[in-house]
Amino acid sequence: MRYERQRMMAQIGEKGQEKLKAATVVVVGCGGLGSPVLTYLTCAGIGKLHLIDFDVVSASNLNRQFLYTSQDIGRSKVDCAKEHLQQLNEDIEVVGFHEKIRPENIEHLIESATVVVDCVDNLETRMVLGRACLKKDIPLVEAGVEGFYGWIMSIGRATACLACMGFDQMKPSRPGPIIGTTAGVVGTLQANECIKIILGMEGTLFGRMLQYDGINGSLDAIALQKSHTCSAHGV
Amino acid sequence: MIEVRLFATFREGREKILFLDANTFQKAGDVLDYLDIPHEEVAIYLINGRHAKFTDSIGEGDVLAIFPPVGGG
Repeated sequence: MRYERQRMMAQIGEKGQEKLKAATVVVVGCGGLGSPVLTYLTCAGIGKLHLIDFDVVSASNLNRQFLYTSQDIGRSKVDCAKEHLQQLNEDIEVVGFHEKIRPENIEHLIESATVVVDCVDNLETRMVLGRACLKKDIPLVEAGVEGFYGWIMSIGRATACLACMGFDQMKPSRPGPIIGTTAGVVGTLQANECIKIILGMEGTLFGRMLQYDGINGSLDAIALQKSHTCSAHGV
Repeated sequence: MIEVRLFATFREGREKILFLDANTFQKAGDVLDYLDIPHEEVAIYLINGRHAKFTDSIGEGDVLAIFPPVGGG
């Protein structure tokens, strides 16, 4: 009964629902993007969700990170998120890893993933995760948000990655301004993209970046070219 | 013509898409100067979907995409 309405969709059906159940999705970062990503993947019936985050809940998270309440302040995000998600859908398996992503641990943390979803807020972790996914040949759904703006793209060995675009030459920046609705829209797009990849659907965002503009109310797609000299694709 | 696509905060006070005379600009950085975008505020600059440097040449038919940092999660 739980999945009845989505099983009615031509793109899903019984076979698609089985694919979702058989999938393992690793979500890195349980914050603003992670909240909608984890919520919708849980509701959709992804069989196994692995959550990775080293942080604890703080008051400044609560304008956008709707997995948490004021009572959770000071508690581990992965512990709180796991409790909440398991209540949302007791049929799926949720595993939490209270760890910081490092080059030494990342490959082990993602090795069982059907898809990895990047919801982190810093450049260094994005680059470590991107390299590991390319090395392991695991599809990666990337996104970033700030203010009323955001972007999303999917990355694989055959298509452009963040290093191809020059992200590896960017200067690290401090956490920027953000409103919950932006993270909600872009995180929901990430969850949708993840589901489409698992289902093997066409129209995914490999080789394309989708830009969300919450001020003008628009989405714009940009075609991306893989770099022949990309350091990350060479790993 | 050169098509220039601006994203995120670079759109504020400017157009979303501009079409510029290719003969007026030689390097990628020239377009930033014309649009009054400080070079140090640019995070990603693409020419026809490929990563570009400010010193790269641009010409007729090129599509430029210019982004500020948007890296939060």
